[in-house]
Amino acid sequence: MTIRRLATPLALLLAALAYFVPAVAGGSPVAYAACTTIAILAVMSYGADLILSYLGEVSLGHTIFWAAGGYAAALLSVNAGWSGLPTAAAAAVVSMVLAVVLGLATLRTREFVFSLVTYAAAVVAMEIAFNWSFLGGSDGIVGIPPLTLAIGSWSLSANGNDQLWPIAWVVLMGTLLFIQRFRHSRLGTSALMVQMNPDLATALGIDARKVRLGVFVASAPISALAGWLYAYQRAYVGPDMFETYFLVLMLTAIVIVGRRLLLGPLIGTALIIVQQTFFSIGGDGDKIVLGSVLAAILLLWPRGLVGLWTVLASRPRAPSR
Amino acid sequence: MNIAQQLINGLVLGSGYALIAIGWTVLLGAARLVNFAHGQLYMLGAFVAWAVMTKLGVNYFLAVPIAVVALGLLGVVLQGLMLRPVMQQNLTSLMIVTLGFGYVFQGGASRLFGGDPERFVSPLQSAEIRFGEIWFTWQDVLTLVGTLVLFGVLWLVLNRTRVGAIVRSVAEDPKLAQLFGINAVLVYIGVFVFECAAVALGAGLVAPRSPILTSMGFDEVILTFVVVVLGGIGSVTGSLVAGFGLGLFTALFGALVSSAYTTAAAFFVLLAFLVLRPRGLAAR
Repeated sequence: MTIRRLATPLALLLAALAYFVPAVAGGSPVAYAACTTIAILAVMSYGADLILSYLGEVSLGHTIFWAAGGYAAALLSVNAGWSGLPTAAAAAVVSMVLAVVLGLATLRTREFVFSLVTYAAAVVAMEIAFNWSFLGGSDGIVGIPPLTLAIGSWSLSANGNDQLWPIAWVVLMGTLLFIQRFRHSRLGTSALMVQMNPDLATALGIDARKVRLGVFVASAPISALAGWLYAYQRAYVGPDMFETYFLVLMLTAIVIVGRRLLLGPLIGTALIIVQQTFFSIGGDGDKIVLGSVLAAILLLWPRGLVGLWTVLASRPRAPSR
Repeated sequence: MNIAQQLINGLVLGSGYALIAIGWTVLLGAARLVNFAHGQLYMLGAFVAWAVMTKLGVNYFLAVPIAVVALGLLGVVLQGLMLRPVMQQNLTSLMIVTLGFGYVFQGGASRLFGGDPERFVSPLQSAEIRFGEIWFTWQDVLTLVGTLVLFGVLWLVLNRTRVGAIVRSVAEDPKLAQLFGINAVLVYIGVFVFECAAVALGAGLVAPRSPILTSMGFDEVILTFVVVVLGGIGSVTGSLVAGFGLGLFTALFGALVSSAYTTAAAFFVLLAFLVLRPRGLAAR
């Protein structure tokens, strides 16, 4: 298969081209800000994507991991003066600990009870962040220093979106690579089997609960790293990281193009952020757009824009379940 | 600290929780549907009643029924839009779709009604009743009595009438019910309309306690989750008991421990229950 042999070089080429998107788009601060934001929010969405696409459950609690990453970066860089790499490690660890707790508590829940409990957990986490002075309370944490990455004597400081972009690009590419690996890993294939045919999975000796917990814990640091970068981009974290906006954005980004597609959440996020940055119709108007897109996609073309394309490309036929 | 007063507060709070949750309990029990726009529907119910009162000068006792009817009609539209995934019982899609609807309602309501807190006033809110140190308002009495009456009527309809039998048979097995000539589509629409109307009634009775905001749906819905899950999915009696239990818990916790963390505490009670008794209070 020539296509398969060409896949890796092609992917590398695309990844390299992606690096120059903001420069090609004019190189203006707005272009760098938009691209960096897209990369950050796409990574955040990939965390939830792991649950929705591969476990088939709707996690409404991924804003917890997203915010945990942001708060870890903020607290440790402001109060303890840690640099970027240790705060990233801390963000991942904190989010995984939270994921183990939430994952164990929801281990026996399915479908809407799982969604209800994860949603409730997010509301409670927001209440805690809002009231606990250790986390900055309702004011949040201000004055996060520019992101500095240091390995040995080499160090890199990123001030402003044009300098953050390369780091955001690396995080995004790393995430894509991780998701690609996950899809072919034992955990990834087991998760799909548990979702599609739980009985078969059990018969083959797969422990569904272990798989669910494993995927849940694996997804947390992805969203947390996005939150980590977001904290440095805004130089501020606050309880607004728990807002429904991020939740609706994650889900829309995943379903808009089509579930279980490697580049789906990235393209979805890009579409949403481009609309909100360049074609905004006001904050409330954008909410209506985002919510309507989410509902309309699932009601009209449940398989996303890819599904729409398939419908248009082939003869009309009765929808199959 | 007056324990008797807190017990009264708890009963009043609890009746409100149960009333707001009842629509969802029925929706879950009869149609196995989840509506994440529930909190935003509560917000819409309060704002429709408020708008009718302030813009049209209608009095409170007429504004609330108007809001109930308006939300009921909205329910017909929403269920019409969701009919395909509903008939396929595609729960994952439905959860996300309703979340999208809720977001649209929130954005739309901020555009229509503005982003400022508004005062949705009931004349009964200022009519106090005092017994020595204990006091409550006629609005509290109305909420408590209204909740008990609604639950009573609902229980009778579901368990003692032909309509109830039809709803229960669709809940049991929609395909088999259709074989017996029952129109499952109508049942689903009816149940959804009941949910929207009931949450509007809940908003009409409960929302006057505090200023209303177009962003309040998100917080409002959390205690509904707790009531629905604690009560046992779809159990009418269970959610009444869970509502009162949660009301007493939050009143006492708020007064004795900390009022800022009451929602968090209620959630930990829920988590403990999920670990110990995953099927809720009503499980045998």
